[in-house]
Amino acid sequence: MKKVLAMVLAGGRGERLYPLTRDRAKPAVPFGAIYRIIDFTLSNCLNSDVRRIYALTQYKSISLHRHIQLGWNILSAPLGEFVEVIPAQQRINEHWYQGTADAIFQNIYTLQQERPDLILILSGDHIYKMDYQKMISFHQEKNADLTVAAIRMDRGLSKEFGVVEVDRDWRIIGFEEKPEEPKTIPGEPEGILASMGVYVFDTEILVRRLIEDARSDSTHDFGRDIIPSMIGRDQVFAFDFRHGDRGGVGYWRDVGTIDAYFEANMDLVSVTPQLNLYDPQWPILTYQSSYPPAKTVLEEEGRMGTAINSIISNGCIISGGSVKRSILSPKVIVHSYAEVEDSILLEGVDIGRHARVRKTIIDKDVQIPAGMKIGYDLDEDAKRFTVTGSGIVVVPRGMRL
Amino acid sequence: MKKKILVVEDEEGLRLLYEEELEAEGYEVLSARNGREAIQRLEEGKPDLIVLDIVMPVMDGMETLGRIVGKERKIPIILNTSYPGYREDFMSWAADAYVTKSADLTELKDTIKRLLEKKRAR
Repeated sequence: MKKVLAMVLAGGRGERLYPLTRDRAKPAVPFGAIYRIIDFTLSNCLNSDVRRIYALTQYKSISLHRHIQLGWNILSAPLGEFVEVIPAQQRINEHWYQGTADAIFQNIYTLQQERPDLILILSGDHIYKMDYQKMISFHQEKNADLTVAAIRMDRGLSKEFGVVEVDRDWRIIGFEEKPEEPKTIPGEPEGILASMGVYVFDTEILVRRLIEDARSDSTHDFGRDIIPSMIGRDQVFAFDFRHGDRGGVGYWRDVGTIDAYFEANMDLVSVTPQLNLYDPQWPILTYQSSYPPAKTVLEEEGRMGTAINSIISNGCIISGGSVKRSILSPKVIVHSYAEVEDSILLEGVDIGRHARVRKTIIDKDVQIPAGMKIGYDLDEDAKRFTVTGSGIVVVPRGMRL
Repeated sequence: MKKKILVVEDEEGLRLLYEEELEAEGYEVLSARNGREAIQRLEEGKPDLIVLDIVMPVMDGMETLGRIVGKERKIPIILNTSYPGYREDFMSWAADAYVTKSADLTELKDTIKRLLEKKRAR
């Protein structure tokens, strides 16, 4: 078997997820009550038997670093397995990473030490379940230098993605970032292939192309620079996500905005979520502190501790309050007579008596005082909090109210 | 105007030889004894081409090559070495040309000329 090294780009600022990204990089943003966004990519690696993993971070990396250290220190170093964080070293120059390709180039000495046959480049920003081994096999069958994972999308969405143009053999013959007039899939005039930011490279070709790119005027980006420079010169193929999609429903999300983040979380409380977290063959791993099990208490008229259509984590106590269609991270307390609806409460949030919260994301360790209402008067909320166009309120981490 | 060549070489005898011979070819020659000095020279003024030894004290040629590419990516670089294993090193692929160290500078001079012409053509 070929030696594979995964490089996970985990420096995403996630500016459109502000204020959730005020204190942490996008891959460290909590998701689905107990996970961080990067857990999905890292779990994919382990489940695909890719066990040599570097996560490249730069700004606001403490939270991510801690999470990986605590939660992902589970591989066997004596067998050559690891998940390791590499903060920006500035060994080659004093800048932050200029683009995705630059992030890898700046770590060329690490590639040198590892000398893998293939390099799997991943983004720590996306939520999906994918068997990378299927893609690696495809790469080898095609004798490819580069394989780009691609997912089918409606052509109307082309402006949000890197769009891959393929021939009938799935050889890539064009690549455009966010085109207005996209090239569609052969035989499917309404469909496009969007790049998922998942690449398998032959190590030698990757290094040569990165060096060329580093020495030229470029934005140093895989999508904008490296891939286009390889088309027609190297063996470049697209891999259909359907052939490696572990969930089987084409689920892949770039939770790039608060609205998208909210929707993707809320999908999890439906009866049959698109993203199945219960597949025993494809566990999603994370780090969790040890807390007692969730509990609901009090059963008096008007003071019932209830949770319906919700995800409730360990350490939560619903004490005489009601929770509907919501996601509660560990250690959330909902006090008597409080109402929580369609909301995401992150770790350590405390909802005071008679408080009412609706369509709100509350970041870690916020105490909502007794009687406070959030999500009921958006004009009023907008004076203190972030309110999105679709009316979702975000209360930043640790805010004192 | 004279083309400026930065020679990075730790051995004094060789450095003087390069200086003399390249000046005789009509180049202005700057020299550095190791990678760190080379980076300093780079900050003082931009050479048109760099001749870089690999095995040097303080900062070796591979490390220096990375730093140069990160700073001044357009300056052509010649790796000038007698150490044969360097191509194992990914960073060595960033050089524009490779010359085996020798007291006879014909190959080095030809390579310098070729790269400077190529650079002008670009």
